[in-house]
Amino acid sequence: MTERKSRPPKARSDRPPHDLNKERDAFIQTFLKKGVQLTEELLKENERLRKRIGDLEDENAMLCAQVKSDNAIRELISKIQDLETEKNRLLSRFHEVEARSDQYAQTFAEVEAELANLASLYVASNQLHSTLSLRGVIRQIKEMLAQLVGARSFAIYFVTDDGSQLVPIAHEGIRTEELPTVRVGEGPIGHAFSTGAAMIAEESDVSACAVDAPAACVPLRIEDRLIGVMALFTTFAQKTRFLPVDYEFFKLLAAHAASAIVGARLFADGGGKTPGIDAFLDLGV
Amino acid sequence: MADYSCLIVEDSPMMRQLLVFAMARVRNLRVTEADDGVDALRKLATARFDLIVTDINMPIMDGLKLIRRVRTDENHKKTPIIVITTEGAEEDRHRALQLGANAYITKPIQAPQVIAKVKELLGIA
Repeated sequence: MTERKSRPPKARSDRPPHDLNKERDAFIQTFLKKGVQLTEELLKENERLRKRIGDLEDENAMLCAQVKSDNAIRELISKIQDLETEKNRLLSRFHEVEARSDQYAQTFAEVEAELANLASLYVASNQLHSTLSLRGVIRQIKEMLAQLVGARSFAIYFVTDDGSQLVPIAHEGIRTEELPTVRVGEGPIGHAFSTGAAMIAEESDVSACAVDAPAACVPLRIEDRLIGVMALFTTFAQKTRFLPVDYEFFKLLAAHAASAIVGARLFADGGGKTPGIDAFLDLGV
Repeated sequence: MADYSCLIVEDSPMMRQLLVFAMARVRNLRVTEADDGVDALRKLATARFDLIVTDINMPIMDGLKLIRRVRTDENHKKTPIIVITTEGAEEDRHRALQLGANAYITKPIQAPQVIAKVKELLGIA
């Protein structure tokens, strides 16, 4: 066996070859450069992303604000709608109340007018029976016709004892010679007496009526007995038609004028004396 | 207690009573009646009135003379006056307004019309 002479191993250097050093340095340099470059890029990207985040936050804030604003507007619109509904409800209620108020006002005016009419009738009746003087009664009838009805010319006719004619016993606004004696059953006055029904002009202008065509002929009664006619020839110019209350005046005159006139006449015939108490006893009532 | 006072001057008892009834519809109005102008002057001398309502045709002293006297009276020269006239008396109405009457009402009177005029002159709503 050959023993090989062993040569001492070639000493190996820990140091890399020069090329490798260069290569390493270059690599490191490149690596570092790349690292720096990457870091710079990362920093830039970071900056860009930060900016983007900032922008997005701003945008988000703006959108949030807008959403909030939209919500507020929606709330306001809803509130406006509620208020509109409330307004319409209140308006409807207001119109209802207004209509009711108008109705009350109308009713009030009607009641007031009715009250005034009743007052007029009361005054007329009260005054008619306030005297037992014949002149006083005639004056009251004249006043009632002139002041309350608005009569310009009128006359009161009484039937003659034989019942064939009607003669004027009092008149106003017309001359005596203009007043005709009327035969029962003839003309408007005679006809009103014979039928016992009042004749009242309703269509024509009552201020333009005349003696031969009076505005109203009202039969005068004592209970069921006809004793005369009140003839109203014309009214004042402003009184062109009779009002409902005038018809009530005519009814009042028809029922009370004759008894007031006859009562006053009898009282005058009796010397204006009040009968003694005996006259009122044993009346059987 | 009445807030206002009114003097009614009218010779016809029927018209007077009717006017009193009408005035009763005006709240807080005290009414005094006079038969004619002389009676009215007597009452005007002893009391103050916020309103005078007078007829024109009256015995003793008519409405026109009364208006003239009232307008020269220190206490009542500014008191509103309503005259009540009859149809065909435009001359009287014109004269009354010239003498200082504030308003006129034509017969036959309607109570609501009288009330409205009285309220208007007294400034009552």
